Amino acid sequence: MSGTKMRFMLGAAALAMLSACGNVDSDEGSIPGLLAEAARQSVAQRNRTEVAEKVSPSDMAATALRVNKGPLILVGLENAATTQVLAMTGENSGQRTYMTTNEQAIILRDGMLAGTRGLGHDLSVAEMAPSSALIRSGRSGQANRVMRYWTGDGLERPLRLECSIGPGPKAGVILESCKNGPLEIQNNYIVQGGRVTVSRQWIGPDLGYVTIQELRP
Amino acid sequence: MRAHSTLTRRLLASTVPVALLLGLGVSPGLADPLIGTKFNSYGLPGGIDTPTAEMLPDATLSATLNYSDLARKNALVFQILPRLTVALRYARFDSQANGVSQSRDYIWDRSFDLRYQFLDENPNGWMPAVAIGLQDFMGTGYYSAEYLVATKTINPRLRVSAGLGWGRLAQSGDIGSPFGDRPGPDEEEGGKPNTDQWFKGDMAPFVSATWQATEKLALTAEYSGDNYACETGIAEDCARDVWLSDKDELKNHINLGASYQWGQNYQLGAYLLGGRQLGLQFSVAMDSSQAPYPSGIEKAPAPVRPRPSPSADPEGWSGAWSADPTAQPAIQKVLSDALDKEGQTLESMSLDANRAEVRIRNRRYMQHSQAIGRTARLMTRALPPSVETLVITTSADGLPTSSVTVRRSDVERLENSEAGQIAAAAQLTDADPRPGNLTFTEGLFPRFSWAVKPYLSTSIFDPDEPFRYEIGAEAVAEYEFTPGLVVSGTVRQRVLGTTEQEGPGSLSAEEYEALDTDYASNGVPRVRSDSRMYSGNDSPTIPRLTLAWYAKPTETVYSRVTVGLLERAYGGASTEVLWWPTNSSLALGAELNRVKKRDFRDVFGFRDYEVTTGHVSAYYQFTDGIRAQLDVGQYLAGDKGATITVERQFANGWRVGAWASKTDLSDEDFGEGSFDKGVSISIPLGWGTGEPSLRRVGGDIRSLSRDGGSKLRVDGRLYDKVRDSQSGQLYQGWGRFWR
Repeated sequence: MSGTKMRFMLGAAALAMLSACGNVDSDEGSIPGLLAEAARQSVAQRNRTEVAEKVSPSDMAATALRVNKGPLILVGLENAATTQVLAMTGENSGQRTYMTTNEQAIILRDGMLAGTRGLGHDLSVAEMAPSSALIRSGRSGQANRVMRYWTGDGLERPLRLECSIGPGPKAGVILESCKNGPLEIQNNYIVQGGRVTVSRQWIGPDLGYVTIQELRP
Repeated sequence: MRAHSTLTRRLLASTVPVALLLGLGVSPGLADPLIGTKFNSYGLPGGIDTPTAEMLPDATLSATLNYSDLARKNALVFQILPRLTVALRYARFDSQANGVSQSRDYIWDRSFDLRYQFLDENPNGWMPAVAIGLQDFMGTGYYSAEYLVATKTINPRLRVSAGLGWGRLAQSGDIGSPFGDRPGPDEEEGGKPNTDQWFKGDMAPFVSATWQATEKLALTAEYSGDNYACETGIAEDCARDVWLSDKDELKNHINLGASYQWGQNYQLGAYLLGGRQLGLQFSVAMDSSQAPYPSGIEKAPAPVRPRPSPSADPEGWSGAWSADPTAQPAIQKVLSDALDKEGQTLESMSLDANRAEVRIRNRRYMQHSQAIGRTARLMTRALPPSVETLVITTSADGLPTSSVTVRRSDVERLENSEAGQIAAAAQLTDADPRPGNLTFTEGLFPRFSWAVKPYLSTSIFDPDEPFRYEIGAEAVAEYEFTPGLVVSGTVRQRVLGTTEQEGPGSLSAEEYEALDTDYASNGVPRVRSDSRMYSGNDSPTIPRLTLAWYAKPTETVYSRVTVGLLERAYGGASTEVLWWPTNSSLALGAELNRVKKRDFRDVFGFRDYEVTTGHVSAYYQFTDGIRAQLDVGQYLAGDKGATITVERQFANGWRVGAWASKTDLSDEDFGEGSFDKGVSISIPLGWGTGEPSLRRVGGDIRSLSRDGGSKLRVDGRLYDKVRDSQSGQLYQGWGRFWR
């Protein structure tokens, strides 16, 4: 634009830089407060990983079984290299919600992964009833599944996968191999009594695979 | 946790949009615009100086700093629509003293670009992507050029573009002037689209090729008609004599460059212009759909608790419990505590045997549907089994806006299903302003909140000092008597900074005080041009101190009355009404204010200038999150006119908009820029941190120094207060219901 004197202002962005006090709770708190909290949590997450690695999964499971009388699963996130015991916090028509002590959740239907909550790249819902029916009855066949994710643009977006289900090389292990274009994934299941009890399942592009083992049904 | 997996990176590296993976699934590619990854010196996808037909991924924000001996160009570029790129540039170039620029021998100049890709590339055929563009199309026009360009992907590593350019792109090597002569640049107040120049004058071809040598390194060669005539003193090709400088002339029209992609967000480039001038540039790009934690890292919601069978709980199912007067207080307490843990306030509640209504304030979630989904689940855990109808009403700081009514059995049946299913099962209606049976949550009102914290305020783009700041301490307090009736205020104490008290124009603060007037020499009241007079105060200031009353007189009408020190420069009374049915795309409003100009230093003092200002407004919500707003009325300087605002809001909460005001103040009386205009950007903080929050960062880039078309900056305007929970935005972010 014309002229030599230009005065503009980037308004509004009043950033606080030091600590703050008051009775306003952290939800309405300062930007640095939130950033600090995020940093603290990410550090805490890293520390937790280290701690988790020191305690063996079997010790963890034994402790959890002693302390908690409800249904429990042992969950390992391969990408994050963490192993944790999750306790069931809700059951709604076959859908079970398991949570860690810091309230991250894994949702299962008959042992099949149906969703995650609080992991940053959550699976909103896996629509996999046809796969589940084949896997839990030990049959081979083709099935389509839809995995839905919350994406950074604020939407819930579907990922459609075409899957073939059949017995794996190891006895008792059922494989579900799915693809969509360049993406190929493989889930492994062990089924007992019509329920998946041990599995390695794919959550999504960022979280990768999770191993789930039923500790107490 | 890593931000991106190998798979995502691979998909991005091969420029396949992630939309293909997490997208419409069955309809890949064809409808997507051609995406570019290499930035040119103007900050848009392109060669070195020349443009290409490429776009950035939708809703990508990028910034490019470009430096050479010939120019310094800083550009902010946003992909506002999938096929429309906009650029705001702040560039420095040499200028001879011309009586206006006084002592400076350079000019910092603002410019705007638009590029529209109107033809998609056919990856399997010969059809290239084709775009049309306007570069620096308003005002001064130092960099003004227009172009038509086609880009074709030859193979995954090589892209070639060819086009025709006018203006700067045709300073040399022209092949004729098909649309007539190009008039000279605007030498008056500027700031207006130079429609008379577009596609006029010489037309010259340009060509560029970019070869992706490795995943990170790209090499570019181009032929450009831009010979930097003004910069290198070629008087016959330079539009204005005062722009002539004396840098080394380019040897030829060939530019060569290399760019290195560093991580997903950064790009470093170096190039050689015409075998003579070396340039460097750095770009950072942020794709708003690539949040570090797209789903957020907030805790999991409490799951739905299904009801026991009627035989297991006959009393609960019978509804007999509702006769017990202690039932509701106990349930309300439990629900209020649970909601509080999930970042919501239970303002009030009504409960009978079959129906429960809660009024909630969402303190935490950018997508309001997430607050509603969590409330619905908590209600299934707290309410006796006979309650089947759940009504969740949003209270926007005390204003009941919309009500979501959902059957409890649907919440139970559809838990953690695709969000569209619960949307179809739920009803969204206007909230009843005054239902008889609501009970306030005990101990909530009156509500007092306060905080003492540091603040930083910044001002950029000043030619004398491009960056100014002030740091200090700030105390904010708010007292809410009943929902919607609030006293709030802020006190600030500066500690240090570079902002200073200054008079308008070249006057010092003392000189301006001595004039003892609130009018400029042309008789226009100084309503904003002396705003620097309020800066740099070493004693405590009160930027704001108001009593506000928000109400909802009918189901579809909202009202506001605010009195007190409304903003840093004005105090008085502000009133507003807004008609906006929840499910309507159209909203109508009116605002009337009587304000007096505040003293520059005395916190409670006023100056002599007093004015009535107000507008009638129409708001319309289009598809794709685009909204438009038209305000017609009288502005602060008593000038009458209209403001048009266009904004796009994305489902993740990003907002980008632009506005322009034209009033009966003449271009000359308005001064530089001819009329008021600006752009605004607002990014949710939670998008970057993953922690849910209603906080936003961003601001307006506007003309600070002009008096025409200026509005009162009162807090709590109704449209912004209620928009999050009206159908347009609520449904846009509905996908988070089960998060």
